[in-house]
Amino acid sequence: MAARAVSGQGYWRRLVPAALWARPRRLQHEGQPQAQPEHPDQPIQMENPYKEPPKRCILCEINVDYKNVQLLSQFVSPYTGCIYGRHITGLCHKKQREVTKAIKRAQVLGFMPVVLKNPQFLTDPKICNIKYPE
Amino acid sequence: MPRYELALILKAMQRPETAAALKRTVEALMERGAVVRKLENLGERALPYKISKHSERHRRGWYFLIDLEAPPSIVSAMTEHLGRDIDVVRQGFVKHPLARPEECPGMIPVNYEDKLSGRKK
Repeated sequence: MAARAVSGQGYWRRLVPAALWARPRRLQHEGQPQAQPEHPDQPIQMENPYKEPPKRCILCEINVDYKNVQLLSQFVSPYTGCIYGRHITGLCHKKQREVTKAIKRAQVLGFMPVVLKNPQFLTDPKICNIKYPE
Repeated sequence: MPRYELALILKAMQRPETAAALKRTVEALMERGAVVRKLENLGERALPYKISKHSERHRRGWYFLIDLEAPPSIVSAMTEHLGRDIDVVRQGFVKHPLARPEECPGMIPVNYEDKLSGRKK
């Protein structure tokens, strides 16, 4: 490889062969349009197949009514009658709001007591993750 | 299609008087142009708390549920009318909770960071 004729630019250019001054392979195709074929080993774009279905809360697909006081009383404290928050009941936003509205409605219309829980429903199964002191 | 539901609590009385009070209520409803679909009796039970109404303290009552289709103007008129009736302990007009097919999408995890730094009102 003959060295290129240089007009006194650099001492090294005269000595090093021209082939080495060629653009490096990495940058060779930068300016050109990407016309390369898809390599079969490249990942295929798709939605995550291992995605888990969204978690359901316990009242999913259940109609909440102000008339079934037994269901509503399960979300109410047996000592004070206050409605449990979302961090205790574990319900989703929609259902928590529905339950709260139904409880307030039942209390106003005279179906459910306000400051206590109906003694009939005290032995119902526990849904909320609350721990009472012994 | 049922539009309203009237939750009615009547005074704890004997059967003929309760029947008369109910008849009065339903007639008043029909007079104002309501169509009564169903009348359910939830029985006589103890009230959840003592209610004072018309200078009387009530502990027990008859619970009734009336499904009706009515124009919206009836609500205020009937509430006033039932408030004047001495046999009625408590009344409440409610939009009928039609059993609709629930489409619960499940608990989608919310990105709280975005919510915090997102919209600045």
